[in-house]
Amino acid sequence: MAYSILFGTFALLMMIGMPIAFCLGIASVATVLYMGLPPIVVFQQMNSGMNVFAMMAIPFFIFAGDLMVRGGIAARLIRFAAGLVGHMRGGLGQVNVVASTLFGGISGSAVADASAVGGLMIPQMAARGYDRSYAVNITVNAAIIALLIPPSHNMILYSIAAGGTVSVADLFTAGIVPGMLLAAALMVTAYIVARRRGYPAEPFPGLRRLGYFFLASLPGLLLIAIIFGGVRSGVFTATESSCIAVFYALIVALLVYRELDWHGFIEAVLQAVRTTAMVLLVIGTAASFGWLMSFLQVQQSMVILISAISDNPIIVLLMINIALLLLGTFMDMAPLVIISTPVLLPVVKAFGIDPVHFGVVMILNAGIGLNTPPVGTVLFVGCAVGGITIREAMRTIWPFFGASVGVLLLVTYIPGLSLWLPALFK
Amino acid sequence: QEITLRSADIHPDGYPTVEAVKYMGELVSERTKGRIKIEVMNNATLGNEKDTIEQTRFGVIDMNRVNAAPFNNLVPETTVLGLPFIFRSTEHMHKTVDGPIGEQVLAAFEPHGLIGLAFYDSGARSFYSTKKPIEKLEDLKGMKIRVQQSDLWIAMMEAFGANPTPMPMGEVYSSLETGVVDGAENNWPSYESARHFEVAKNYTLTEHSLNPEILVISKIAWDKLTPEDQTVVRQAAKDSVGKMRELWAAREKVSEEKVRAAGNTIIKVNKEEFSAAMKPVYDRFVTDPKMKALLEQVQAVQ
Amino acid sequence: MRHFMLAIRPALTWLSRTALYISGAGLVAMTAIVGWQVFARYVLNDTPSWAEPMSLQLMSWFILLGAAVGVRESVHLGLDYVRHYAPAPVQRTMDLLSLGLIFLFGLAMSFYATLLSIGTWTATIPVLGWPGGVDFFPMIGGGVLIAIFAAERFLDVMLGAAVAADVLVQEAA
Ligand code: NA
Ligand code: NA
Repeated sequence: MAYSILFGTFALLMMIGMPIAFCLGIASVATVLYMGLPPIVVFQQMNSGMNVFAMMAIPFFIFAGDLMVRGGIAARLIRFAAGLVGHMRGGLGQVNVVASTLFGGISGSAVADASAVGGLMIPQMAARGYDRSYAVNITVNAAIIALLIPPSHNMILYSIAAGGTVSVADLFTAGIVPGMLLAAALMVTAYIVARRRGYPAEPFPGLRRLGYFFLASLPGLLLIAIIFGGVRSGVFTATESSCIAVFYALIVALLVYRELDWHGFIEAVLQAVRTTAMVLLVIGTAASFGWLMSFLQVQQSMVILISAISDNPIIVLLMINIALLLLGTFMDMAPLVIISTPVLLPVVKAFGIDPVHFGVVMILNAGIGLNTPPVGTVLFVGCAVGGITIREAMRTIWPFFGASVGVLLLVTYIPGLSLWLPALFK
Repeated sequence: QEITLRSADIHPDGYPTVEAVKYMGELVSERTKGRIKIEVMNNATLGNEKDTIEQTRFGVIDMNRVNAAPFNNLVPETTVLGLPFIFRSTEHMHKTVDGPIGEQVLAAFEPHGLIGLAFYDSGARSFYSTKKPIEKLEDLKGMKIRVQQSDLWIAMMEAFGANPTPMPMGEVYSSLETGVVDGAENNWPSYESARHFEVAKNYTLTEHSLNPEILVISKIAWDKLTPEDQTVVRQAAKDSVGKMRELWAAREKVSEEKVRAAGNTIIKVNKEEFSAAMKPVYDRFVTDPKMKALLEQVQAVQ
Repeated sequence: MRHFMLAIRPALTWLSRTALYISGAGLVAMTAIVGWQVFARYVLNDTPSWAEPMSLQLMSWFILLGAAVGVRESVHLGLDYVRHYAPAPVQRTMDLLSLGLIFLFGLAMSFYATLLSIGTWTATIPVLGWPGGVDFFPMIGGGVLIAIFAAERFLDVMLGAAVAADVLVQEAA
């Protein structure tokens, strides 16, 4: 009965449109009241949930990403990508994917990726005769790459939700190959669609200009090396690397490119507050919710329930993937990761699946959910930037969506794609 | 009427403290003909030690098995047991906590909403390091050593001349691996089960702390028991101590053998030299007369 | 009632802006402290042990003040699906229920955080040496702010007034 109150209240409150942080908190209070436990435990756990040093990486990475867009780092990476692959068939589509991959190397936010890359690429693509829907489709699918290529604050979120038992350095490393694979799959798809529709290729800018673009984007590329190298070698923790990214972005924007002013800085700070405070509050109330799930031994029941359906890890992973894709249609990424990780991790562990591998599967899966309505944050941003309706975007998204789901299946069933690279660093 | 007492523990199944509380549960169940049961919720499922202490005080859960250190702020008497080198040996520690001093410390919990039931073992904590082996006190100078977030432990490391780096247990492995810290300190079982011995190959037998574990029950749960049941619970807790010490000794041996088999360097040191450096810690943490008296009592135990 | 809302609106706007700026200042201070921690460890070879507990204190203020502003500005991290397609009167009822519960939750947060603060006052926060109860100050303050802003929006919906500040902010995906 306590189960039904916990999950029932949560689902009901979500349906009436309450922000998830409060759905989780209020469902927890309702459950402890029903069970006759002191409600104080809900707030104690909420406080503990918000007192995790690793969480600081989330506002820092968002803040750094915003500074990089305002400071001109993102624009130079995109120009470099344009020089690099613009001469391929469907050139600007290919540019879009490569730009997302490069931008993904300095930011972990798919929303930031879609607005930064989309904001520059979609108008250009429309001007060169590409369909706007094609431009939006490719932008929003390529934006998921940012979640897989390090840094990725969503992987930090997964690590926190897993109780800090999964190494962030391993997760960061594990995302690289799947991220590259997704980039390759989207480039191939972009090529095929472009051929069929007869989209043009751009002229090659010449090695001299390409070299100049490369040099101009070097500060951004260097940051990729600093963050990944620093975290991997243990020179600093993920949290520290996110803080270094802020300082680095500030220095490049203020002293090298000189494109950031005081006003832009304040805007970036307030934007980071607005986008992350609620997510971090979700982590807090999810801790109370999670405490109750432990108290009611929900995880153990889940393991028993799923074992009763199938004892085959392939089927179990398929079921979990489908469940996550369905949940992902109407839940945003952060709450989905925070809530489902503590429930599903004991299940997959019981089936001998590696937590690092599962983390990559979960991030990619929840990332695809960012492009599925009714709640598809990245798709909405892409459509807003591209000036088209969601209906228009949905009509032609299928090849790209198919490529993303195809990569998800490969990543799910070939653990080596995720685990091969981290093993090299052992 | 049936009663289930929920007891928290941060360790996994099979760990001596967890098994000891389960054993206590068997005794209680046997002696009350199944009326009272104990359910151990281990693996930190209900939160970290600090959280579960508060939950026990507020009556959310009924029992708790925690190291003495997190109680220091709440029950100052427990600080004395955690002082470096206060116990000459495990026997000295056992005699102290089994006697009137132990009773006195357990009784000090009651004003804080807890009833102290028993002391369990936590073994001896020693240093381990990644690159430089610690062979004498001077080797610790400037080394970055992971400590628990506790003033006593930070002061202790400073007195050893080390550079204390507070961090949660879960981050220690990768920090050792990557050089964020040069070493840490813990007992044999944790050194082995947390796999720190894989990355920090030098284990130096300083045995600087024998801080025991403490088993408490919430005063709220306690007051709901009849005086007869209270006696049963208290006695079963006492009876589980012997079992716990047996399990602990066995576990320590297994861990030590595993570490030795891995080819780690085990270093014996002159403990006097390390212990002599601890005066500033005693000066800072043993200030009021009550604590001083308790300290003298502990030292007088033969 | 309408007059009352009009009269207090500037004060509430000021309150939410102040909370937003304090939260932002907290983020900048956190960045500075963690940056200093890295610098001190590598350049001065001395990890400042106060850096982590101090930045955690700031983060709690950052989260709760920022989230309170989020309640006023209607940041949605939820599923708006059923609500979106519901007829207007049903929608209004849902909003009233949702805001009313958030109001109560904010008050409960303040109340229980006060109890927790009192209960842990005699403990000390390691390294900082502050009373343990200080840990709960952000929840006490944030809870009150959340309750105030939820009440404001509740009254607005009830009166059918234009919603105060309906900035739809995207989450950090
Ligand atoms: Na990224
Ligand atoms: Na979605």
